[in-house]
Amino acid sequence: MPRGHPFRDPVPSWNRSALLLDVHRRGIPHLERMARYDDDDEVDMVIVGAGAGGSTLAQRLARRGWRIVILESGPFWDPDRDWVSDEAGSHKLYWTAPRVIGGSDPVELGKNNSGHGVGGSMVHYAGYAPRFHPSDFETRTRDGVGADWPIGYAELRPHYERIERELPVAGQNWPWGDPHSYPQAPHPLSGAAEVAREGARKAGIAMRVGPVAITNGVFGNRPHCIYRGFCLQGCKVNAKASPLVTHLPDAIAHGVEVRADSHVARVEIDERGRCTGVTYFHDGTERFQRATIVVVAGYSIESPRLLLNSTSARFPNGLANHNDQVGRYVMVQGAPQVAARFPQLAHQYKAPPPEVCSEQFYETDPSRGFARGFSIQTVGPLPIAWAEHVLADGHWGHALREYMRDYNHWSTLGLLCELLPQPENRVTLADEHDSHGLPVAHFSYSQCDNDRANIAYGKQVLERIWEAAGAQDILTIDRYAHLVGGCRMGAFPDSSVVDADHRAWEVPNLFVCDGSVMPTQGSANPALTIMALASRLADRLADKRVGASPAARARSSGEGALA
Amino acid sequence: MAHSFADADHLPNRRPGDPADPAGLPRQRRGTTPQMHGRYPDFNVMDDRDHWDPVTRAVLEQRVAPPPPCRFFTENEQRTLAALFDVMLAQDAEPRVPVLEMVDAKLYAGQLDGYRYETMPADDRTMQLVAQHLEGLADLDPDGRHARVKAFADGELHWEGLDASLAWKVATRLAVSAFYSHPWAFNEIGFRGPAYPRGYMRRNMGPGGTEPDEPKEAFGLDPVQDIGG
Repeated sequence: MPRGHPFRDPVPSWNRSALLLDVHRRGIPHLERMARYDDDDEVDMVIVGAGAGGSTLAQRLARRGWRIVILESGPFWDPDRDWVSDEAGSHKLYWTAPRVIGGSDPVELGKNNSGHGVGGSMVHYAGYAPRFHPSDFETRTRDGVGADWPIGYAELRPHYERIERELPVAGQNWPWGDPHSYPQAPHPLSGAAEVAREGARKAGIAMRVGPVAITNGVFGNRPHCIYRGFCLQGCKVNAKASPLVTHLPDAIAHGVEVRADSHVARVEIDERGRCTGVTYFHDGTERFQRATIVVVAGYSIESPRLLLNSTSARFPNGLANHNDQVGRYVMVQGAPQVAARFPQLAHQYKAPPPEVCSEQFYETDPSRGFARGFSIQTVGPLPIAWAEHVLADGHWGHALREYMRDYNHWSTLGLLCELLPQPENRVTLADEHDSHGLPVAHFSYSQCDNDRANIAYGKQVLERIWEAAGAQDILTIDRYAHLVGGCRMGAFPDSSVVDADHRAWEVPNLFVCDGSVMPTQGSANPALTIMALASRLADRLADKRVGASPAARARSSGEGALA
Repeated sequence: MAHSFADADHLPNRRPGDPADPAGLPRQRRGTTPQMHGRYPDFNVMDDRDHWDPVTRAVLEQRVAPPPPCRFFTENEQRTLAALFDVMLAQDAEPRVPVLEMVDAKLYAGQLDGYRYETMPADDRTMQLVAQHLEGLADLDPDGRHARVKAFADGELHWEGLDASLAWKVATRLAVSAFYSHPWAFNEIGFRGPAYPRGYMRRNMGPGGTEPDEPKEAFGLDPVQDIGG
């Protein structure tokens, strides 16, 4: 294309993944040509986890010449071969190994929030890709709750803009938070979403179409969405964004090795307290990958678990855990769903679940009696999820079957309520062991009064919308969505695990790059922000703007920036 | 009397007493539904199988085939849990979705769902304990079975060493995950199932819009008028 041509190539120059895919097949082509590194080869970086954080970081740094291995516990998916348009058949997409949950409000894991395999949880997320609001980075200062981040919105903004072009994101111009527009136009709406949007309009609540990371038009070799509604079961079309289609093709083309079926057991350190690499299980044998830098990107349950399992004489309570911060401040969003019944057919399965949103209630409004807020989003439960919804409202037997037969008359809205970070909402190690003999995670979760008030208020708003829409009946399920926190970033080592550059305060060449670094969660789905954080970290590492850590300075070793 | 289902008076929240007896629903004319009643008597999701990608097709064809006999639960446990699942899912006549066999196969294969409550054993052990605690359920008459399952659902049972309320959650999760994965249940509720690679007509635009191949609701009797009395 000649210079100055007014047409902007939809596939950005800094990430050509969409052009590296095959338009007739779904898996990443030419994997037989992927780079392979020896365990003894000290690579520049080993990343634990091929999800949103790890894959984005690898793609960026590979383009700057870094030699990188990603170790992923789960399989390397080929959607044509491995994925099915079927709820029960998608069980393998989730982290189903044992985990233990507790606290006064336990959070169910598995299919709800935990991925397994190359692409991570974005393989089965709905596809919503909202930004955080500027307020999310300073809730302590503004609202007296939660925590301030050591970085502000302005530092992430250019990365949001880049990632939105890479996924790409489709939606209306966005009026909330930092107002912005999207690279692709909003998708058409299903009948189920139309009735929700109309109800909101009548109730005086603004909604917008999007933002969803699902192709709506020309984007390299990624096909247009076909609106079949199986976003949560892995997109067989390659229309919905996940690292498997958005970042790993470009990463692999630039020399990254993604080593699947490789479960990392421990991060190893030397006598100086620096990481030397990771011990992992592959094909039943224990192996060790040497690396100059170790990045943990296993998300809010597995990243803390890995650090807690990485004990040594120097770190008897787990790596980088002298201040007992690893595993704390894990957050989930309150995500109740309220479904409404209409005389006409709505067919809520015949569309991607993510269609329209409102962030009108996102910020603190003192008149509501609690801090922070929530967002409202459409969801589109398939039959098993719909049955769980009906069951949660107390119906079984003939009543369950009756509501299930009524499926096509229903439309469902969900909330994402910002629940506050609390130190006792944490991951620890359970007495139980997994198939590798490693202690599994115990996740304890309890709501605070602000959380309960937020969820209760939000559910009333949903009921108001449905009442305005003329609903004949309503069914409600209380649930949670998403996970963030557990290795949070901060300005001080006594109240955080990593610094503003994602570097562990106590280990100079150990980084965490996933949702676990977030000090707050807003009312936004976390995937876009995880990718934006990884993109920012990559810039800083590649530009050598990550300075010596306090630990390194304390040793006065004379080492400057990282290797 | 024809009943359009535009009204909502058939829904349990909207009517007094027990849910409507499904015997008034149309009989299935094409394909199979559990107990052969449903709202879409001429809809059979498997008729579209030639349009599905081969991997999905194989999974659903295997699911409608007769399952292997139970290998995880003992014969005693099978009797009790079969009765439990029948009441829980209102499967009071043939043809039944073989929920017990599907749950058994999942637990026999060691498939778990990724978490357990700290006060509970793993799902497989939980279901064995549920069967032990409900022993004798299969010997009760229909009213007795219903009463005992209702007590289980309402959290009125107290068992030594097992939290019955959490056990109800485990049992129902396993049951509905099996039942509503079955193409017969898709037929009953008018869910068109896999739509890849063919997709749908470009969505139904606006409420009430239907595409030509959409399953049609049909009603023989008004369950409120004709069944209640």
